Amino acid sequence: MTVIGIFLLCIWLLAFPAAIGELFIGVDKQAKKLPFRWMAGQICLWGGFQFLCVPLILTQKDFVYVTLLFTAYTGILLLLSAVAYLKRKKRPALHIVKDKGSGREKSELIAWGIFAVLLVFQLIQAVRMTYADGDDAYYVAVSSITENAGTMYRKLPYTGGTTELDARHGLAPFPIWIAFLAGISGIRTVSVAHVALPVALIAMTYGIFYLIGERLFAKRRRFLPVFLIFTELLVLFGDYSFYTMENFMIARSRQGKAALGSIVIPVLFLLLLLLLEKVQENEKISVSYWILLALSVTAACLCSTLGALLVAMLMGITAVCGAVCYRKWKLLAPTAFCCAPCVAFAVLYLML
Amino acid sequence: MWEEVTALFRNYMGTGLIIIWFFISVIYLFAVEKRKHIRILFLYVPIIVLLFFFNPLFARLVYSYADDEIYYRILWLLPVTIVNGYAAAVLFGQMKGRARYLLGVCLGAIVIVSGSFIYNNPYFHRAENLYHVPQSVVEICDAIEVEGREVTAVFPARLLQYVRQYSPVICMPYGREIIVERWNHLNELYDIMESEEIDAAALSAQAKAQMCHYVILPEEKRINGSLEEYGYTVFDTIRGYVIYRDTSPEWWNFEA
Repeated sequence: MTVIGIFLLCIWLLAFPAAIGELFIGVDKQAKKLPFRWMAGQICLWGGFQFLCVPLILTQKDFVYVTLLFTAYTGILLLLSAVAYLKRKKRPALHIVKDKGSGREKSELIAWGIFAVLLVFQLIQAVRMTYADGDDAYYVAVSSITENAGTMYRKLPYTGGTTELDARHGLAPFPIWIAFLAGISGIRTVSVAHVALPVALIAMTYGIFYLIGERLFAKRRRFLPVFLIFTELLVLFGDYSFYTMENFMIARSRQGKAALGSIVIPVLFLLLLLLLEKVQENEKISVSYWILLALSVTAACLCSTLGALLVAMLMGITAVCGAVCYRKWKLLAPTAFCCAPCVAFAVLYLML
Repeated sequence: MWEEVTALFRNYMGTGLIIIWFFISVIYLFAVEKRKHIRILFLYVPIIVLLFFFNPLFARLVYSYADDEIYYRILWLLPVTIVNGYAAAVLFGQMKGRARYLLGVCLGAIVIVSGSFIYNNPYFHRAENLYHVPQSVVEICDAIEVEGREVTAVFPARLLQYVRQYSPVICMPYGREIIVERWNHLNELYDIMESEEIDAAALSAQAKAQMCHYVILPEEKRINGSLEEYGYTVFDTIRGYVIYRDTSPEWWNFEA
């Protein structure tokens, strides 16, 4: 891996998503925090990638068009983020809020230290250790073929040679996103998939757990690192079966289904928690919130074709529960509207 | 259908303890958590998800459209890690003084004993390089790659899943699909390659029929006869694998 390649991957996996997260500052007070911006920016990029890539796959266009369009899309988002940032900075600050976290107890600092050590351990292990999973022979090979041959889902990943379009797999083109990262960074696809992505995505999962923890421990912040340590232990000792989300998160992070389980579903839990909290407090829900929710749903479709069903279930059950418990039936319409991408991709799946 | 779904749930539970802790955490939070939005998302929603999961009608509907192996992923909608972690941290917070730290250690120990350390999984091993594929695959692929075109090579079963991850320009007569029993793929060349003693004549005939430029065999593999008799030369020996190159002139044309 070249230094420039690593730098470019850092830009595409960390800096650009964090910058694009500026567009979602209006979602909540929490949205100003770096983990939220990083997560929201990445979801926005994934959602856009899905909308751009699937039509190109189905019309059997070459990968180069995906690269061009997605780069342009990212450029536009960065430009919009810069404008949003400048606008926000022009507005004078009303008051300075004292950071309540400045007077932290020693025990809390130790807990943060333990959390950091366990996180670094997992990130080092992601580079040091490898997990032999047979499914990589399909997914990583699709990424490698795409980056090398410039065609998408038109070559047999297991053996090589051309074939008819594999349209059903093409509806969840997470491997094409990996090919894009490999192409743009110049790093071999297999290294991007097995080394770079796990590091970025495992860290992002804990960023999302941090954000969920912040909401759960809003008035008892000193227990937030304790919550995070327990989540780390549950992940590290989560190999009680081959099917757990924790197994996928650590062992198979480069596969779209792992990103669905360890990134997109936790993001939806965070966003739905935020939604229910706002409904309870009778706070206004911003348009940017609904956009982010719809993009999360679209990102689920990018990760896995089953993602459409899972997120539609989660959103549907939560919206109905929320509407019943709070007697707020108007919650149902925008939530259903956000599920539209799921429905569209599910219909495509059934038609193909 | 009911048996299939319960079998899937049992497989998902594995040893079962973490999921039991999840149910205990849900009950505990049901008693102590007063905020309605948290109760909805982390208590009511998981229960309804489970009702859907165990509903044979719903299962039949999903099975009819999706692969039956992936039905278990509905269980990913149970926020096991978040709920267990939250319940543990809330319980930790309710204690005072030394009892708190003792409880924290006990809860951590319970997680460790109940679960299974992910890096002890037999499929995890130390990466040999930054590609995370065996170094033998890297070196063999580098040796047989030809710039500007694809080459076909037949590999031993244990290397199959890595080859095209590393090098998409190397084609194979069969790939990982041949080793997944339930997919029922058959290939005569595979049967010959994986036999205890390889018949050189049969291997040569099949490899040529399937247009393989190279045959890669483990050094220790017993061969009845000699591949050299059938137009092969030893191209290289890399990390315990012998690379045989077919020199048959009629289709061995790298200029094409």
